[in-house]
Amino acid sequence: MDTTVYVPTDRTGAQPDRDRTTPDVPAARARTLSKVYGAGGSAVRALDAVDVDFAAGAFTAIMGPSGSGKSTLMHLLAGLDTATSGSAYLGTTETTRLGDAELTRLRRDRIGFVFQSFNLLPMFTAEQNILLPLELAGSRVDAEVREWFDTLVTTLGLGGRLTHRPAELSGGQQQRVAIARALIARPEVVFADEPTGNLDSRAGAEVLSFLRRSVRELGRTVIMVTHDPTAAAYADRVVLLADGRIAGDIVDPTPESVLAGLDALRSLEAPVQGTPQRDGVTR
Amino acid sequence: MLRLTLAQMRRSLGRLTAAGVAIAIGTAFVAATLIAGAVITRTSYDAVAASYADADLVVTSDDSVSAATVEALAQGDAVAAVDGRLSTWVELSNGSRRTVQQLVPVASDPRLDAQRVVDGRSPDEAGEIALPPAVAERLGVGIGDTLTAHVGQWADDAPGAPADGAAADGAASDPGVDPGVDPEAGPRWVERTEELTVVGVVQDPYGAYAQSGGAGVLTRAELEQWAGDQAVDGGDLTYDSAVVALADGADVEAARAALGEAVPADATVRTKDEQAQVMTAELTDGADVFTVIVLCFAAVALLVAALVISNTFQVLIAQRTRTLALLRCVGADRRQLRGSVLLEATLLGLAASLAGLLLGTGAAQAALWALGRMSLEVPLPATVSITPAVVLVPLLVGTLVTVLASFAPARAATRVAPLAALRPADAPAVTQRRNRPRLVLSVLLTVGGFALLAIAAVFGRSLGDLLGPLVGVLGGALSFVGVVVGSVFWLPRVVGACGRLVGRGGASARLAAANTVRNPRRTAATSTALLIGVTLVTMMSTGAASARVTLSDELDRQFPVDVELADGGAEQDGAAPLVGPALLSTVRAVDGVELVTTVAQGPVLVTATDGATGSVTASAIEPADATALLRTPSMVTGLSPDTVVVAQSLAQDLGLSDGDTVSVSGTETDPSTGAETAAGDAVQRTVVVTELPGGVALTPTTFSALTVPDAQDVAWARLADGADPSRVVPAIQDAVSDTAVMVTGAAVERALFEGIIDTLLAVVVGLLAVAVVIALIGVANTLSLSVLERRRESATLRVIGLSRSQLRGTLAIEGVLIAGVGAVLGIGLGVVYGWAGAVTVLGVVGDVSLEMPWGDLALVLAVALAAGLLASVLPARSAARTSPVAALAVD
Ligand SMILES: Nc1ncnc2c1ncn2[C@@H]1O[C@H](COP(=O)(O)OP(=O)(O)O)[C@@H](O)[C@H]1O
Ligand SMILES: [Mg+2]
Repeated sequence: MDTTVYVPTDRTGAQPDRDRTTPDVPAARARTLSKVYGAGGSAVRALDAVDVDFAAGAFTAIMGPSGSGKSTLMHLLAGLDTATSGSAYLGTTETTRLGDAELTRLRRDRIGFVFQSFNLLPMFTAEQNILLPLELAGSRVDAEVREWFDTLVTTLGLGGRLTHRPAELSGGQQQRVAIARALIARPEVVFADEPTGNLDSRAGAEVLSFLRRSVRELGRTVIMVTHDPTAAAYADRVVLLADGRIAGDIVDPTPESVLAGLDALRSLEAPVQGTPQRDGVTR
Repeated sequence: MLRLTLAQMRRSLGRLTAAGVAIAIGTAFVAATLIAGAVITRTSYDAVAASYADADLVVTSDDSVSAATVEALAQGDAVAAVDGRLSTWVELSNGSRRTVQQLVPVASDPRLDAQRVVDGRSPDEAGEIALPPAVAERLGVGIGDTLTAHVGQWADDAPGAPADGAAADGAASDPGVDPGVDPEAGPRWVERTEELTVVGVVQDPYGAYAQSGGAGVLTRAELEQWAGDQAVDGGDLTYDSAVVALADGADVEAARAALGEAVPADATVRTKDEQAQVMTAELTDGADVFTVIVLCFAAVALLVAALVISNTFQVLIAQRTRTLALLRCVGADRRQLRGSVLLEATLLGLAASLAGLLLGTGAAQAALWALGRMSLEVPLPATVSITPAVVLVPLLVGTLVTVLASFAPARAATRVAPLAALRPADAPAVTQRRNRPRLVLSVLLTVGGFALLAIAAVFGRSLGDLLGPLVGVLGGALSFVGVVVGSVFWLPRVVGACGRLVGRGGASARLAAANTVRNPRRTAATSTALLIGVTLVTMMSTGAASARVTLSDELDRQFPVDVELADGGAEQDGAAPLVGPALLSTVRAVDGVELVTTVAQGPVLVTATDGATGSVTASAIEPADATALLRTPSMVTGLSPDTVVVAQSLAQDLGLSDGDTVSVSGTETDPSTGAETAAGDAVQRTVVVTELPGGVALTPTTFSALTVPDAQDVAWARLADGADPSRVVPAIQDAVSDTAVMVTGAAVERALFEGIIDTLLAVVVGLLAVAVVIALIGVANTLSLSVLERRRESATLRVIGLSRSQLRGTLAIEGVLIAGVGAVLGIGLGVVYGWAGAVTVLGVVGDVSLEMPWGDLALVLAVALAAGLLASVLPARSAARTSPVAALAVD
């Protein structure tokens, strides 16, 4: 079992479109990031002073039991929600300081999203759905974009489905369209929240290998939330969350190493900071 | 089930409230209308009752009550006083101030007097009068002053021959009498003047003579004398009714029975209350018609509200699909689900109708207060009267409409399969079920209706005055129902097509366009709700515009000039003619009058070469003046000192055509035979036939060559182009009001009918505005329902880069699209209906000009678009507030 403390990965050479981040800057970062839902007695501390870096050009999975704060962490990193304290960065931009208009521009240009329930617009065709982010940004579909679009469609195997509406597509196909939509604007980071949660295992495997290909072949950065160890094993690295805190880190995971890490988490009633964990899971 | 229904209602409170407002407004309309009808009835009753003062009994007859009957009543036991009721209208003047006033006799008993003397006393002898304060003020007289009464009378005489004793006596004693000379034999209206001294001021506290602002009071003897003089037949004196005051302590029923024996068989004795009720029933027939007409508009408003309700429930059912399916899974049957929806509709309908009832009553009460403060001459009740009908009808109607509107959604609820609970919740798919019977019905109604409408428009004249409009109304109603029923098939396509056009404008526009066609039924219902109101408003406005122009054209054909001023007073010897330089300068000074000229007029005899003659009115005018004065100068083309312009009607009668020669002379009537003969020398002139409305036109030179005994000067005036007749004509009338000048002409008629058309239009549009307001509530409701339904979708869009303002823009465009399409189609339909109506109704008047009231149409469209925009504001705000995080939430 390969057990390593997190070291920024060095895959930056494979990222031709990265212009806003320098090779050494992580694609996304959290610094003492906290989020409290509610107030008073019913307050829930969903994130508790989290410090974590996500390397550019890598496929990182965030794992943890239900309610451990995975989605919350991702929302804060993507600037979808406001933090209670601490800061989140996208490249060198501190997203926790931006206003709504700037966040909108950030999401248009620098972030892509893949949702658990696909969230395609039912009245548009697959092609219209894929091109929607460009249209919202008001950018022209020129030859370069066309070429990128064709690359995505070929890579994701959507060739014959472009004129179909979501209702006429299978779950796996819908999610592939969603991935193409997330990638069309060449964002720095693609966030995916349980992208396989609504798919059967074959379609899920397809989607995951596409995400991995988009990192390996298309040079993207992907941060994926999942609670499925098999899914997490597609990633280059797994960050473990428990009770709103970073509870471990696995590099080059396999389903077995991820399961072992999760078991380790589960066996702890309350993880104590700084305590060395068995089986290669390190805090 | 009740608990479940209530729980669901609580969850959908916002949606239900918006729908409830629509019903409440409709119900308030009904309630206010019924209350207004009741107030009118009550006011009439009060006025009628007041006119009988404190009489115990009232005697009426099919015909009229004779003096003998009054005499018989006075002999009755227990009768303290009897008065025969009568009144007459007489012109009163003080110097140049004059007014025509209703006069009644002094009551013989204070209990029989509907008015109260507030200053001075009642008249005791002939030559005395008591006046209402307003009349005294108008005439500028106070107690002790004198004024002049102009008492008319029909004189049935040849010149110099006295007709009856009364007139002859008056003529002998009063130099003010002008026996006059009328060329035509038969009864003539002559006036004599009487001096009256004002001895008192009377008030009319209960509105017994509200129409005339209180009645002047004379002694009974003098009033009966004058009333007899002014009667057409001059026969025996009769009364409208007789009022009886009984002695103190007398038994009313016994006296009634006794008096019933004493009067002729055709007379009826009633108590005052009974009589007031009978009279009110007769009088308020008109009020009932008013109530029915206004209720028709309320029905339109309720129809639109029903569309809004139906829409709301449809969306609520869609949103509750999972809950409903779950209920089916755990054992609820279809009947229970339908029952739940209908129960919800009943509760909503009841609550909204109750709110509407309160709103309507409040509005009516507020109106009463406002009117009361304006101190009209009609005494209004201080508070609205709440009858069972006023309460029950709006409640029932409002609830019934709500429940009926929820029938289709209730059926949809029963169609939810238990399986739906197990499927993931998806936004409703973009599908449209075909409903063939509905399509067929709609096509049949539309085609058939428009066919009938076309028949009415083309053959209306040959169908007759009644059948033509009837066929037209039927065709219009059928085709409109067809259009509305079929709107679900074609309206979404129109919206889609417009959306595609708009969609070029960017991402927000394309999203909006795509969204509007997602739920065709809902879009159609929302647009249709607006289309109904807009169609009716446009129809009225187009019809009114066409009527205005058509009637104007017709008037220009009938009247040569805008305004004609002629001496309309009774003939008086020795007085200076009213139409003269003074009058001309008075009229010329009125703002909006361009030109005034005197024209000599008089009867002339036109004789053709074959001896055929015609006696017509000749107008003498210089050709240059005529060209400048007439709206249609071609009426006098060819007028010169050598010619006479002849109207087509006369040319036809005498067989004349252009270039013929006729002889023209003055005319005289033979007193014994009544035949018209030439007077003085005749002149020869060449005929020019034009579309002159009647008579002949010639130059002053020609006219002065004739001997015309009854020649009279009139003044012709032309209004400045663009001057508003409804403003200028009253100004002219005001300027000449202290003389007996009669103002006639095209502009006068136009001012009159334009006033009527404008008032009617304003009232109708005001009533229809309620329907439009409800429809706009519907647009806002639909948009906010869509916002709710698309919460996740909107959040997704926000996540992938839609800005807040783009999201608001999307909804704004959607609102404008829905409202705009409804408005544009409504305007199109309304113009067609308006024209069809104008052709059918005005076809009898003459050639109908079809007009587009561009200003009104633009206003309607602008209001609809602005309202569509406004309707999107609140939903857009709530949509933009939603955090994008919601997109990532899985249910
Ligand atoms: N909008 C919210 N309001 C209140 N509590 C929330 C909200 N969202 C998440 N939480 C709570 O925060 C904690 C972390 O939630 P989340 O990040 O969704 O966990 P995960 O995605 O790992 O299942 C949970 O205890 C959850 O109940
Ligand atoms: Mg989650």
